[in-house]
Amino acid sequence: MSLLQIDQLRVTFQTRHGAVTALDGVSLSLNAGETLAVVGESGCGKSITALSVMGLISSPPGRIAGGAVRLAGEDLTHASEARLRAVRGAEVAMIFQEPMTSLNPVLTVGDQIAEAILLHQDMTRSEAWTQAVALLDRVGIPSAAARAKDYPHQLSGGMRQRVMIAMAVSCRPKVLIADEPTTALDVTVQAQIFDLLNEMQRDFGVAIMLITHDMGAVSEMADRVAVMYAGRVIESGAADDVLDAARHPYTRGLIGCIPSVDHGGALAEIPGVVPPLHLLGAGCAFAERCAHVREGCRLARPELQGGAHSVACFGAQEGWV
Amino acid sequence: MSLMQVRDLRVEFPLPRPRPFAPRPVLQAVRGVSFDVAEGRALGIVGESGSGKTTTAMAAIRLQEAASGQVLFEGTDLLGLDAAQMRARRRDIQLIFQDPYSSLNPRARVGDIVREPLDLLGVGSVSERGARVRDLFAKVGLREDQMALFPHQFSGGQRQRISIARALAPGPKLLVCDEPVSALDVAIQAQILNLLARLKAELGLAYLFISHDLGVVRHVCDEVAVMYLGQIVERAPVGDLFARAQHPYTQALLAAAPSLGRRRSRGFKRPLSLRGDPASPSAPPPGCAFAARCPKAAAVCRDVPPALDGAGHQVACHFPG
Amino acid sequence: MTQAAPETPTREAWRMFRRNIPALMGLVILTGIVAAVLWGALVYQGDPFEIVWAPHEPPGVTPEFPLGTDYLGRNIVAGLLAGGGPTLAVGAVAALITMGIGIALGALAGYFGGWVDTLLMRVTEFFQVLPALLFAMVLVTLFSPSLWTIALAIGVVSWPQTARLTRAEFLRIKELEYVTAARAIGAQDGRIMWRVILPNAAPPLIVSATLTVGVAILFEAGLSFLGLGDPNVMSWGLMIGANREYILDAWWPVTFPGLAIFLTVLSVSLVGDGLNDAFNPKLRSR
Repeated sequence: MSLLQIDQLRVTFQTRHGAVTALDGVSLSLNAGETLAVVGESGCGKSITALSVMGLISSPPGRIAGGAVRLAGEDLTHASEARLRAVRGAEVAMIFQEPMTSLNPVLTVGDQIAEAILLHQDMTRSEAWTQAVALLDRVGIPSAAARAKDYPHQLSGGMRQRVMIAMAVSCRPKVLIADEPTTALDVTVQAQIFDLLNEMQRDFGVAIMLITHDMGAVSEMADRVAVMYAGRVIESGAADDVLDAARHPYTRGLIGCIPSVDHGGALAEIPGVVPPLHLLGAGCAFAERCAHVREGCRLARPELQGGAHSVACFGAQEGWV
Repeated sequence: MSLMQVRDLRVEFPLPRPRPFAPRPVLQAVRGVSFDVAEGRALGIVGESGSGKTTTAMAAIRLQEAASGQVLFEGTDLLGLDAAQMRARRRDIQLIFQDPYSSLNPRARVGDIVREPLDLLGVGSVSERGARVRDLFAKVGLREDQMALFPHQFSGGQRQRISIARALAPGPKLLVCDEPVSALDVAIQAQILNLLARLKAELGLAYLFISHDLGVVRHVCDEVAVMYLGQIVERAPVGDLFARAQHPYTQALLAAAPSLGRRRSRGFKRPLSLRGDPASPSAPPPGCAFAARCPKAAAVCRDVPPALDGAGHQVACHFPG
Repeated sequence: MTQAAPETPTREAWRMFRRNIPALMGLVILTGIVAAVLWGALVYQGDPFEIVWAPHEPPGVTPEFPLGTDYLGRNIVAGLLAGGGPTLAVGAVAALITMGIGIALGALAGYFGGWVDTLLMRVTEFFQVLPALLFAMVLVTLFSPSLWTIALAIGVVSWPQTARLTRAEFLRIKELEYVTAARAIGAQDGRIMWRVILPNAAPPLIVSATLTVGVAILFEAGLSFLGLGDPNVMSWGLMIGANREYILDAWWPVTFPGLAIFLTVLSVSLVGDGLNDAFNPKLRSR
């Protein structure tokens, strides 16, 4: 059984266009010690998926309308707020895109990590401080004892993200959700953070759910991939299978349109834009942008099928894409 | 033929005095940069945040004050022009910004935004201007009936198209693109990059293309300059740079760029991850700016700044290759 | 994305304004007040200072004086009708002076920065630390207490707030890329300041302007209350000031002008809010 199992999760949001379905039956699984990349463009629901795991969907306007999020068998969608607080940080930790706004600007970084430790572990303040310094050292912050007394604004973006990672792993969580952890960082710093995440995984055995829009990052980091589009998983499988033999036209488009350092020339294009959620019809959400679209695609929504490398596309399932 | 020649451009920002009456320290954002942009060709300037790439471009087109240097545009030194002469020159040099949300006046209709440069220049009659605006809308892939809308009614990619149409309106010879796709989703990035490549070919435009993403540069540019801490460390034709990067910093950038060819599943291990952050531009080191992070650094690197040398493929390094 | 047919900006703003119920109510009240004041000026020919009846006649007793009489036996309806014009005029003129000085100086300081900013902000601070009421009193006593000097005095003491607000907005907006874009297409400083930045800085300024109208009316009432108003011109403030001592004996001579001031200030700020929303394109497509 998987460590984290998301089953047919449905999340709706109340908007001025009425209730829209932000997640429409999302199923994902994350095994102990592996990295699952959840990839898609903005608005596809990847961040909402992460927030639902943490029980952080703000309600209202959000609502978990169905499905389950099981952490080691326990359904978190029905857990009490007290239980969720115990889970957050201790069993599932999260790091965000912008480390500046996710750190408290008026506390030193050492204090913030010690705080996080004290929240979930029974120890004295000075023990927690010592452990915080050790963690900062562990995530590669030079002269950690001195840096622990710094405030977030005194650190560079990369250092701040290291602090976030130190805080995230401070209670030895089983699952680490990284929501676009390097989008705000320079490419050389991004590489450092990726290396660090891999190291943390090796040393602490944490399973990583990497939310990203970058297929290159997926390739370097992921064991398995789930591609999301308009609130659904449209393709999922082992990283190699999805990257080398993508079945969904959208996945192929995403791979083809990456400006790569390996080759020049014109890029493949996916025409149009992601449709707004409140305007989704009955058919496949990608139909309007798809080069292979047939009449049937606009009538019903394809389900995710196909075992280890599954796809939600009639064409791929019936063999005409 | 050379359209723009930038020679030994320097930009300094005064910093607050550390104490009253102390000399005002300066931040050397651009430290003696020289490059040429040929007619109808695209020069990419690549670097991480703080490298001075945007400041260089802004100073070259007089949207940022330069401390010293020369910017010859068709033989005229732009830095020597008075305000009125410079305004007259602006029609030849136009600009596309990174953030499609803040680069369009939210209170103006997009048709008027594109028309404004024509009105300012007094191009043609009113009906001719109208025709030109319609023509520009078609050229960048927007519909004529969208002219009466306001910027907030468009998606990021469409806004970037509007921005491009506005830049094309006066019929410029040089387009400065400041990270034009980095705020866009990857599928939309490809659309905009392809549009820029097409316009360059159709209109014979020259680009000064600022980006942090080597992959993006590879798809649009003919030549690339890599900047580090206010200086160009390597400059080469695009194919050369990607095939035979000579500077250790360029090599590190290439190694750090995520790529589909690198698979976790195949035991990918990054060859070279840069440690640390760049030195501070307010106190640049006496020798090579990159020495502190460079795996090849020797004593000479810390003392003697390397000059940008070579014909065709230039590199500023004591130990290139 | 809704496709709006081309429509003139004014028409579109009016369409938006009509949908805003509080703003529409404000407009109705304000129109009512202005109409009453105009009607009063045309129709009511009597002297509002004339003693016409016994003092402190309560409202609703004598049909000729529906709102009663004040401590001297003057007709309160006549006072309200005659005093409305000067009150509104003082409010509007003071607000115009405030906005004029405040926006001009704030815009110059915020846009050009550097020594221009330092100089103008020092001047602003100088005016800001002056106790407004005392300074206005000095101005009014130095010159004759006419309506114009009162409006001028109020304007001169109220503009620093607007200047600071304008400067802050200009500082923020001038860094946005569409301003750089305007420079890149060769627009001159004046055009950038007034055509690009000012419309985007308008929302808080419009709100501030409507508040200033209210503040100016209250200020005029305050000066009149202290006996520094123009004694020859009836105004709502003068009515309150003159009758304040007898408020425990008769509530109506102060309450009705007070109510008039309250309704005017309220309706002006409702209309201001409505205008602000109506000219904001982001709210239009809703």
